[in-house]
Amino acid sequence: MTSNRIQYTLLGIAVIFALVYLFPLYWMYVTALKSGTEIFAIPPTFVPNEPNWGVFGYVWEVRGMGKFLWNSLVIATGTMIITAGLGTGCAYVLARYRNVWIDVALFLILMLQVLPASLMITPLFVGFSQIGLLNTPRFAVILAVSAKAMPFFVILVRATFMAVPGELEEAALVDGNSRVGAFVSIVLPLAKNGVLVSAILIFMQAFGEFVYSKSIIQDVNLQPASVGLNAFMGPNTIEWNNIMAYATIYVTPILAAFVLLQQRIVAGLTSGALK
Amino acid sequence: MTSPLQIELKAVNKYYGNFHALKNIDLAVPSGTFVALVGPSGCGKSTLLRSLAGLEETSGGKMEIAGVDVTDMPPRKRDVAMVFQSYALYPHMTVAQNLTYSLRIQKVAKAELRAAAEKVAASIGLTELLDRYPRELSGGQRQRVAMGRAIIRNPKVFLFDEPLSNLDASLRVQMRKEIRALHDRLGATTVYVTHDQIEAMTMADHVVVLRAGVIEQQASPMTLYERPTSKFVAGFIGSPAMNFIEGKICDNGTSVMLEMAGAPKLDIVQKVTPNMPVTVGIRPEHIRVAPSEECDFSLPVTLIETTGTMSYVSLGTAPELSLMLTDRTVFSVGDNIGLVVDKARIHLFDPKTEQAIT
Amino acid sequence: MRRIMMSVVDGKGFDLILVGAALIFLFLFSGLPLLYNILMSFQEVDMFSLGKFFRPFVGLDNYRALLSQPAFWPIMWNTIVFVTCSIGGQFLVGFSLALFFNLNFVGSTFIRGLFLVSWVMPGLVVGAIWNWILAGDFGVLNYFLENLGIIDEKIFWRSDINYSLWAVIITNIWLGTAFNMILLSVGLAGIPEDVYEAAELDGANAIQRLWTITLPMMRSTIGAVVSLGLIFTLQQFDLFAAITSGGPANSSNVAQYWAWELSFRQYDFAKGAAISTLMIFFVMFAAIVYVRSTKHEVRG
Repeated sequence: MTSNRIQYTLLGIAVIFALVYLFPLYWMYVTALKSGTEIFAIPPTFVPNEPNWGVFGYVWEVRGMGKFLWNSLVIATGTMIITAGLGTGCAYVLARYRNVWIDVALFLILMLQVLPASLMITPLFVGFSQIGLLNTPRFAVILAVSAKAMPFFVILVRATFMAVPGELEEAALVDGNSRVGAFVSIVLPLAKNGVLVSAILIFMQAFGEFVYSKSIIQDVNLQPASVGLNAFMGPNTIEWNNIMAYATIYVTPILAAFVLLQQRIVAGLTSGALK
Repeated sequence: MTSPLQIELKAVNKYYGNFHALKNIDLAVPSGTFVALVGPSGCGKSTLLRSLAGLEETSGGKMEIAGVDVTDMPPRKRDVAMVFQSYALYPHMTVAQNLTYSLRIQKVAKAELRAAAEKVAASIGLTELLDRYPRELSGGQRQRVAMGRAIIRNPKVFLFDEPLSNLDASLRVQMRKEIRALHDRLGATTVYVTHDQIEAMTMADHVVVLRAGVIEQQASPMTLYERPTSKFVAGFIGSPAMNFIEGKICDNGTSVMLEMAGAPKLDIVQKVTPNMPVTVGIRPEHIRVAPSEECDFSLPVTLIETTGTMSYVSLGTAPELSLMLTDRTVFSVGDNIGLVVDKARIHLFDPKTEQAIT
Repeated sequence: MRRIMMSVVDGKGFDLILVGAALIFLFLFSGLPLLYNILMSFQEVDMFSLGKFFRPFVGLDNYRALLSQPAFWPIMWNTIVFVTCSIGGQFLVGFSLALFFNLNFVGSTFIRGLFLVSWVMPGLVVGAIWNWILAGDFGVLNYFLENLGIIDEKIFWRSDINYSLWAVIITNIWLGTAFNMILLSVGLAGIPEDVYEAAELDGANAIQRLWTITLPMMRSTIGAVVSLGLIFTLQQFDLFAAITSGGPANSSNVAQYWAWELSFRQYDFAKGAAISTLMIFFVMFAAIVYVRSTKHEVRG
């Protein structure tokens, strides 16, 4: 009995913690639904008086969000394809062997992971401008973001491959398969979940990417939603309900995907980051 | 042994960095033979098996399977099948898919696949389990699937890597018989790695004892038991292990004086250089209890362990002697009992080289 | 040719291709820019020489010019304050929450996971939300603080030079807490229950158990979390862009934002490269600490 009561008390405290922590998220949704005058009410209202559902359609139209989100989607998809395409095989090899060369490669990859994007953008921008990549700015951003995301992806996916017993691949080799065949038919299917979750994480990160897009993409028609949001927030803006509506449209799909995949993402993250 | 050689290894060497894992291994296995590779852990037996499968690259020497040089061939071209210690069943495939994996790689027609799987399953009692996944099987069933996966291909050589070490004791005894029966039925050539000398002795036609990357001795099980060429093999084969007592050959060269309480003398059948120091090896089963007037020597009992069918008795200290009795013991700890040694079965070793004196 | 094909299908060639493709890509778009950055920091770069491969060398002039800027030392100090306070705040809140959720009550795993939503949100959205929460006149944070009696008059978080850096720090603590908590939870879960039971039988109370069992056994995890925090904090850019833009009067400017400003606001790519080079060496130092602490993890 008492232990049950303790359990539920703890659960209650945990819910309160979560509510406090997630308040900013709630505030985004609530502000979006308020009218232009209600957002400046004193004291602030915590439930909108007259929820203005039309705001989403309005902001979508006025800010041209379809175009922005499409560009975000293009950049995120491209990044995911390049990162997963090149990173999966690399992670597999780094998981399969244990020697000095592997340690060196892992160390180099870790070093590249820690480089801040805002510091790397200067040489990337100058270099891209010299080889003409700025003419295809979204592609240039995809390349830059992939290079930034790949080390993280490799480290996460390597942990997944390490969990696949080496004997399974050896059995496939003895059973008459080639290295390529054993990788595709045995190792990859068994690591599928980890690879997918990591790819989704990369997609989410790239979907919110800002520094590279802001610096490289000058043409408004090719900019992603993060740059669009930045442009929306002038220094003296008062359109906070509209800005929050923009943020809501931008972030809700990501949040939905996260809540659906929460357990897998958390498990994948914890297994990779500390090993 | 007139049948053609199925496996032939010539001067095979393997290095891991500076570690010399296999040293000049020569091995010839006639077709249809069951060979056991046995030795303590780290002796190179698994490395040798994996080299044969093509999973390890060798550093030198030549390997032939059925007359074909396979030294530089990838595993898939060697036509060998292997049963792993962990079974290595593909967890995302059903039993039937596991069994037919190798056939599917060879692009065997779909219709034949199921028939082949059913035939193999019937032969090793898996028929009911064809559509299950490995995680739904017991240890023994997994073991059978792993074997089925090897059988279905009809390979040139079967390789087993400690296949029974994950099973409990009673199942291990049963599978031992089944694997041997299977080998005979298929007329296969088998190489079987184990650290358990009982498995090697009971199953194999030919036992290879490895130690630190070197073949200590290879022979039939009974030859190993009766004529071990080194103290290592003598101590490794047989359970409980052989007793070793330091001693010295007497002036006459036909008896040995043991370095123990009372300095007893034993007659030996072979002729040895007088006054030579020797290590005397006596198996526990070759010592009898005898009345004090006819015994070779007597020792106090220090420990009696009884299993019901057998009693293991420890006697004396430094050196301690163990012996094995099938009849009920009539003495207890502390008693001084007389012992008789079977003179024809005394083994003598050079204490320096540890090689047998013949 | 056949030998190469065979190696690709059956041997080491397969491994080399897989690793090689990724490493070449990383070299082209990460390693090469890194080297190029160092090169540029010793060159004269302006809008006209941007497209040229050969530019005049100026030695350490860019670094000298940076150091002589009045903003240099304040910005470096801001960077240190930002990094230490962010890491400290994230760690304290994260560790407390991790300890709490380690009590393993019903639903603890699920609720703990919910905290991670902050981590998957685009940085710019987080910045926008907090920008609004931190607003001076109508911000909800000021409303809470006033009602709780903590402050008497409104704080203009974003425009007061005494508070602008703290506006970003508060947001960054919120952003990084969840990640800290999850990693620390993993470390806590790795301590076997029987160690605590043994300590309890030996007469240690809860606080003594925290100091004598939990913290020492978590040492390598804590090392990893703090150095990861350092790495992530030095990567933080979006929050500055979304909340203060480094202002007012550089009061909330930090090195990583300044580097971008020099290059893309003042088009002084050489100075941008110089400050980037300085910071990159610092980040690499943090990375080496991190690698060492995870190595320890494997052995321990």
